[in-house]
This record gives sequence, C-alpha cells and structure tokens, in this order.
Amino acid sequence: MKLWFTAALIALTGAVRAEVLLSADEIEQTLSFGPWSPSFHSDPSNRVSNNARAIALGEALFNDPVLSSDGAFSCASCHDPEQAFTTPEARALGRVLLDRNTPSLRNLAGLRWYGWGGKSDNLWAASLHPIIEEQEMAHSPESLKTAISESAYIDDFEAIFGVIQNQDPELVLVNTAKALSAYLETLVADRTQFDDFRDALERRDFPAAAYYPEAAQRGLQLFLGRGNCVFCHNGPRFSNNEFHDAGVPYFLNETEVDEGRFGGLNFLLSSPYTLDGDWNDDPDKHGAWAVRNVRRSHADFGTFRTPSLRGVAETAPYMHDGSLRDLNGVIRHYSKINTDRLHTDGEAILLQLNLSEQEIADLVAFLMTLSKASY
Amino acid sequence: MIRSAVWFMIWSSTAFACDEIGQRMTSEVQNAPEVYLSVDEIPLAEPFSVLVSICSETTVGQMRVDAIMPAHRHGMNYTPKVSALGGGAFRVDDMLFHMPGLWELQVDVDINGQSVFYSSKITLK
Repeated sequence: MKLWFTAALIALTGAVRAEVLLSADEIEQTLSFGPWSPSFHSDPSNRVSNNARAIALGEALFNDPVLSSDGAFSCASCHDPEQAFTTPEARALGRVLLDRNTPSLRNLAGLRWYGWGGKSDNLWAASLHPIIEEQEMAHSPESLKTAISESAYIDDFEAIFGVIQNQDPELVLVNTAKALSAYLETLVADRTQFDDFRDALERRDFPAAAYYPEAAQRGLQLFLGRGNCVFCHNGPRFSNNEFHDAGVPYFLNETEVDEGRFGGLNFLLSSPYTLDGDWNDDPDKHGAWAVRNVRRSHADFGTFRTPSLRGVAETAPYMHDGSLRDLNGVIRHYSKINTDRLHTDGEAILLQLNLSEQEIADLVAFLMTLSKASY
Repeated sequence: MIRSAVWFMIWSSTAFACDEIGQRMTSEVQNAPEVYLSVDEIPLAEPFSVLVSICSETTVGQMRVDAIMPAHRHGMNYTPKVSALGGGAFRVDDMLFHMPGLWELQVDVDINGQSVFYSSKITLK
C-alpha cells in the first residue's frame, strides 16, 4: 500500500509539494536503519574501555608519531581526523604503497570483525597490528616499550596500566593497543538528514518526514528494492559486517592477488590477539564464539568486509582498493557489473541492474543523505 | 489393565519430552517423527538461538543444524553449536543470518540409527 502522503506543511510554508513516497513495507525496512546514534556498551575484552584517562591517552597516542618506530608518522597520518579518519588516496601510503584503501575509523565499537579481510575480531587487536606491521609503524614490542618509556605519556600510561618496567614488552604492546581502542570506540558518525527522516517515520510524523528530498526517497526505494543493496548494507551501520565479492578485481599485479577474507581468516586463526586468546580481559570471553565457529571456504578468496555507509560521502575513494573515485562511479560499477569476475562457486546476489541516469542520480542522492555534509 | 497403564506411561513420557511449540519442520520421509522449531526473534546479522524438539518414541542420537539461502546460493558463515537437553530436545546457539530474505533451516537427526532430514522456511526482513 502506498501512502503517498501530501504534507500539511505546504499550507504553512508555501513550499513545494512534498510527499512520503515509501510503501508501508519500505517504511518498516527503513526503520531498521536506526535509531542513531547507537547506545554505547563498554568492551568487556578491554579493561580500560570507557576509561576517561585511557581515552585521553589513546587520542594522544593516535596523533603522535611515537607509535612509529622512526617517528615518521602517526595513526592520524593515514586516518586523518579532519578527513573522516581516512585520506583521499586510493591506497594507503605507509612505508610503502599498501594494497588497500584506508578505512574510516568511525562506528567501530562492538563490531564482529575489523579490517577489509576481517583479520581481527576485536578493536584492540585491530589497533595493535598496524603498530608492529613492518610496512606500517614497524615497531617491535621492545622498541615500543622503549618509546613509551621515554615519551611524555609515561605518567599517564603508568597511572592506567602500572609500572612499565614491570611489564613484558608484549604486555606494553597490548596495553597501548587497548588505550587506542578506548579512544577509537568513542568515534561515532554524526546524525544525518536520513536519521531525521527515519525517526519521523517511526513517530508517524509524515509532515516532518516529507522534508526528506524525493530524489533521496526514490534512491532509498532502489536501495531496498531492485538494487538489492540492503542484502549486505543493513542495520543501523548499513553493514552486515560480513564478507562479499563485489566484483572488484583482486589482482594486485600480474603475479599477486589480494586474498581478502581468505587471507584474513588465515591471519586471524593464527593470532594470539583474538577474543578466544589469553589477552582478552573478559573471563567469560563474550564474542569469542565467532572466531571459534567461523567457517572457512574457498569462496572467501577475494571477498571483503561490507563497509558501513554512515558518512560515506566523506570517505572517497571507494572499494577495498580505492579504485572507484566517487559515489557515482560506485553506482555505475554495480549497475554494469561484470558478473564474469564473480566467483563461479560464490553467492549469487549481484547482477547487472542497468540503471537509468535518473536512477543513478537518485541512489547517489540517497547516499549523500547518510553524511552530515548533506545538511 | 497393566498393559494399558504401561502404554499410558510411555505416551505421557513422550508427550512430556516433546515440546510441540513453534513451527513444525517438514520432512520427505514417510511417517517421520514430528519435529518442532522454536525461536523467539531472529535479529538480522546478529547471533541467535533456536530450540528443536523431536517427538520420537525411539532413541534420538546426534543432530546437525545448518541453514542456506536457496536463491542466493550460500549458507551461514558460522557453524552453529548444538547442545542436547535430553528428552529429544536440543538447543542450537550461534546461528547467524547475515542477509534479509528467505532462509531454509535444515536439521539432520539420527533417529533409531537412521538420519532423517527436516527443513523449515524462514523469511527474515
């Protein structure tokens, strides 16, 4: 049933006629994208989660080159807070040109998997790996312990975690990552025009909902319907946080491939820093079920984690390799997707949509409303 | 009279053990014991649990659970954990449906030494 609601605000403001175009079923689906912002839950695997002093230390460390072995760059060099915690380059530039696009760092609290390939099942592990990755910060646990000991942050570190000289270098590494994680879990994307629309629909306040642009509403209808975007981009974060083949080539060059989830799982299952490991501060190990029970499949090869669409207009370029410059390009990619590139034994979800120019514009209009910038 | 009493006790025991709550699962095996699937709510892309009750007067052995999306040609990304509760009842944890749409929940039960396949259709919005 179409509601085709004509807003009463016309008489009040003399504005152009505005309507809620969504059917009752589409409204019900739209409500599932909220409410936003999500309520905060401390991370039981991190004993300094939601600790104000740890959050402040994590923020300071995030922005300081002390976390790179030669002081060359900080986390913020690639995850720029002024650029939605990413940078506009297609692929991240660490000590070398890395294989993947830098993901934004907002809305990370409480996810099941982290990173394009999901090689971490918790936020402190995801914060830890870049510190010791040779192509990124390139610290060893020993050099990190020395750097923290000699830094301006030693008093805060010891106030939170105890005397550093009594700590094994690996413990210093984990504690540093947990302070970073305490900070990162506070980063949440702002409410948007879409959230106002969604909340108005929940209140059955259709005059307020009708302020949402019709082009964005038509784009939302495509997102929910023929576009099948909602299969993977669902829930308040617009991500199911699982792994899919989006038809983007995963060849790095003539001889190398990005293994995606396949490589991520290999890494994860040999890591000591999972929720099933000894560094988890939660004696009940909530959340460890995922790493214990996750299935491995040949079809994982070249699949990548569904990115959140919150704030998506601020995080160009797109896809795991940053190969698509703007949202228009992303929609055109899916519209004319080359299904020959998809796994023959993988999931059968994507097909050519053959969208019209109007439909492409509508989908982009909808995606733009998921960012604060669209206000 | 004694025989009647024995039959009554068996019937009572079976009825007590078999919790006929929820959706009855289908099987193509003729005269297969009834199996019921009970689930409160299925959150999208989050773990959930189900209860499976097998109404069999004979011995129930192991049970295996899985789920697929027939139209999408994929299953779940996690292996669910099955715990026997006794009396033909099983609790299944760590189920996760990561997409909306039509899922087929599949149960394979060893009944009296034979594997019997059951399924139920579940539409997730």
